[in-house]
Amino acid sequence: MKVSLGFNESKDYVQAVNEAVGEATIGLQNNLPSFAIIFTTIEFAHPMVLKILNNLLGDTPIVGCSSLGIISGKKIIRHGFAIALVSLGQQTFFNASCVKEISKRTPLKTGEELGEKLLYGCRDVRRNFSLIFSDGLIANPGQLFNGLEDKMGKSFPLIGAAASDNLAFSKTFQYFNKDVLTDACCGILWGGKLNFGWGIEHGWKPLGKERLVNKANKNVIQEINGQPAIKLYEEYLDKNSLELSKDLKRISIFYPLGVYLPGENKYLLRNITAIKDDGALITQGDVPEGSNVRLMIGTKESCLTATKKSCEDAQKRLFGVKPELIMVFNSASRFTLLNKQAAQEIEIIQQVFGPHVPLIGIYTFGEAAPLESINYLGKTYFHNQSICVLAIGADK
Amino acid sequence: MIPNFLMFCAMLSIVFLVIALFSKMQLLKEAQGKIIRLDRSLEEMDEQGKLIMRTDMELNKTQEALDKKISGLNTLQKLSHSIGTTLEENQIFKTIAAEYLEELGFERCLACLWDELTKQFQIHLNIGYTDPELAKIKTTLQEDKKYYFSLVHNGLTSSSLFNPPDFLSKEKIKLYFAANSFIISCVLPKEGSRGFFFVGTQNMETRITEGDCELVTILANQIGQALDNARLFEKAWKSQQELEVKVEERTRQLSQAFEEVKKLDKRKSDFISSVSHELRTPLTSIKGYASILLTGKLGNIPEEALERLKKINRHSDELVHMVNDLLDISRIESGKVIMKFETLSLKEIMEKINDLFAEQFRAKNITFSYQLAEHCDTLSADRSQIERVFINLIGNAFKFTPENGKISVNVKCLDKNIQIDVTDTGFGIPEDAQEAIFEEFYRVENPINQEVKGTGLGLTLVKHIIEGHHGKIWVKSKIGQGSTFSFTIPTN
Repeated sequence: MKVSLGFNESKDYVQAVNEAVGEATIGLQNNLPSFAIIFTTIEFAHPMVLKILNNLLGDTPIVGCSSLGIISGKKIIRHGFAIALVSLGQQTFFNASCVKEISKRTPLKTGEELGEKLLYGCRDVRRNFSLIFSDGLIANPGQLFNGLEDKMGKSFPLIGAAASDNLAFSKTFQYFNKDVLTDACCGILWGGKLNFGWGIEHGWKPLGKERLVNKANKNVIQEINGQPAIKLYEEYLDKNSLELSKDLKRISIFYPLGVYLPGENKYLLRNITAIKDDGALITQGDVPEGSNVRLMIGTKESCLTATKKSCEDAQKRLFGVKPELIMVFNSASRFTLLNKQAAQEIEIIQQVFGPHVPLIGIYTFGEAAPLESINYLGKTYFHNQSICVLAIGADK
Repeated sequence: MIPNFLMFCAMLSIVFLVIALFSKMQLLKEAQGKIIRLDRSLEEMDEQGKLIMRTDMELNKTQEALDKKISGLNTLQKLSHSIGTTLEENQIFKTIAAEYLEELGFERCLACLWDELTKQFQIHLNIGYTDPELAKIKTTLQEDKKYYFSLVHNGLTSSSLFNPPDFLSKEKIKLYFAANSFIISCVLPKEGSRGFFFVGTQNMETRITEGDCELVTILANQIGQALDNARLFEKAWKSQQELEVKVEERTRQLSQAFEEVKKLDKRKSDFISSVSHELRTPLTSIKGYASILLTGKLGNIPEEALERLKKINRHSDELVHMVNDLLDISRIESGKVIMKFETLSLKEIMEKINDLFAEQFRAKNITFSYQLAEHCDTLSADRSQIERVFINLIGNAFKFTPENGKISVNVKCLDKNIQIDVTDTGFGIPEDAQEAIFEEFYRVENPINQEVKGTGLGLTLVKHIIEGHHGKIWVKSKIGQGSTFSFTIPTN
């Protein structure tokens, strides 16, 4: 497997795309790309970008999504374009596919359909994992992964990123071949002789008593401990519903809700995206009824510690294989929280994997990956405020 | 016996059971107590958790505000530096880069200045807007220009935090500029066109604070000052350019004039030289014949004719003298005279001069003296030329000094020159003539000059000889108090 990356910060998208593709093509050293993964900031979500790409890459399949920012080995790019050209070896293979108009189905059905499409032609071969890029503003992203698992297997690793925008939360974009899409999800199935490892961490710690979600529907928590869900925040932060609404984004980043996962002995974070008039909380990702929740607290330091832990976990799972590509799906909330210290995460990643390993990543509105599990590879969960590090290497 | 034993055992069992039950009840009571205590502890910990969270929230807020302030000030410092060091109006706006703006928390920015010619606000800086968006903004700026004009006129700041009552509503501004949060601050240079500086963001998270408004206002003020500096610099630069052009033109004219003067001067010198040469030949003949006639070798001449012949002879001498002076001046001017430098004893020269004029001094009872400073008794010069200088200067002094007067020569050593002052107690020279006396044929109007004849070439010749030695000559004089002619000769 050969991977080559290209980044460009030019505001002229024609120039940016041309230069980034040029850089990546040179790095590929005459190997033909099997497929391309692209990430752009929101200004580059333009059909012309895909048109130029198709002209440059011919029939090479393209998948990708928009983001608040692009992570490279050198810096965080706030406006720009990035491409990873992947040339797979002889005993490795892939399949890329896409499902449009999620809102016309259900996330579950979408996941199932995408699962079916990704498995097409790959049922009787060794499958490693799937990379999934979805619209970051859909209501039940967890269901999407449930649908995928239904088709691809309960313990088949799915590594996902929910596309983001410039924190306007208005529209996110997914890219598939010639199309700039929204309300869609696309993915790549990787198979054959590959080694990969991942780690996902958030770094938040539970605080206070555990509470029971009495009433919830998908991503809406109506009651906690028999009271409107908002009471939990009102009690802890000594603010009324109106005050909380005003400062919700910040509060949600600093003090997300932790959903306890008994089998995993871990907490899954949920950002609060809105407060309903009846005091119900709308979360980014679903919260099952009957689950135990606690308020979580974190600091910049704990955030950075989590970055290191996720890198170490990914490296451990590679079993000594040298990574050819590091992909990072990092929460947009973490970017907001870390602010000027956000670039420190790049340093940490390079400390673990070395400074010369190709590194590409984005900031997301949600991350998907299995947690550590007693079972084989584990169930995939949709996370918030987490950093997911995926390391891919050739077979030993 | 057996029933009694069984009864005893049963009783014993009951007693043990009662004891066990009692003990269990005790344990249960203790466990209940522990649970209550644990529950209380948990409640207390939960309360502590709440306190921790509230404190943490306040700390985070303070930290965020502090970080934002530091970051803002840092960016402002960088921006101020680049703006302050720019002296070109258009470059001022170009120094405001998108990166700086993002550090301040904004991704959209416009700088608009009022244009008196077109009577509308012109956009000088655009960050973050596409061409169609910009076209819309231009339209709204034109439609609502009176509001912006009034804002600028009153030097007010509008923001999503606080908006002046007479300005456009926040909602309209947000709509027009496609920004969820914004600050508009006035750019008020002291001279020239004024305008406003807009920054905005679409980010729903961003909430404008008073600190943000302060920073943007400071930045707008900096832009205003920079515009003032640039405009002043532009003015100064233009004036300098104009001046340079004028100086260049004037220099060219002067050079031309100087060349003309040089040409004329050369023609004059050539003319004098050729005329003098032409005059000298017949003059020599006239003088020769006059001298022969005066000797009487050609026969006796009547007394009246003799008298006239003597006059012819004397006037011929004067003419020859004048023609020689003119020729010398001409030669020196044209560089034909080569100075033969040698070390001369000033004392020797002085004595020679004294001998030369001794009879005349005695006749008018004039005291002549000279004084040589210590280690200042030699001079590097052309002997014959420098003697002519002394003869001319002392001759003049003698001519204009009345009886019983004094003439003195004073020699002193300067840094790189020897200065010689020739002082008399004569009539003196009027101030307005002190420069002109060195010009050819110039004669001061005074009774002596009317009586004593002169060519008006002596001082001109002296000046040329001194300049031929790379020295300078000047005069200081007051009417009735005498004159001092000073000249310098370089020591090497």
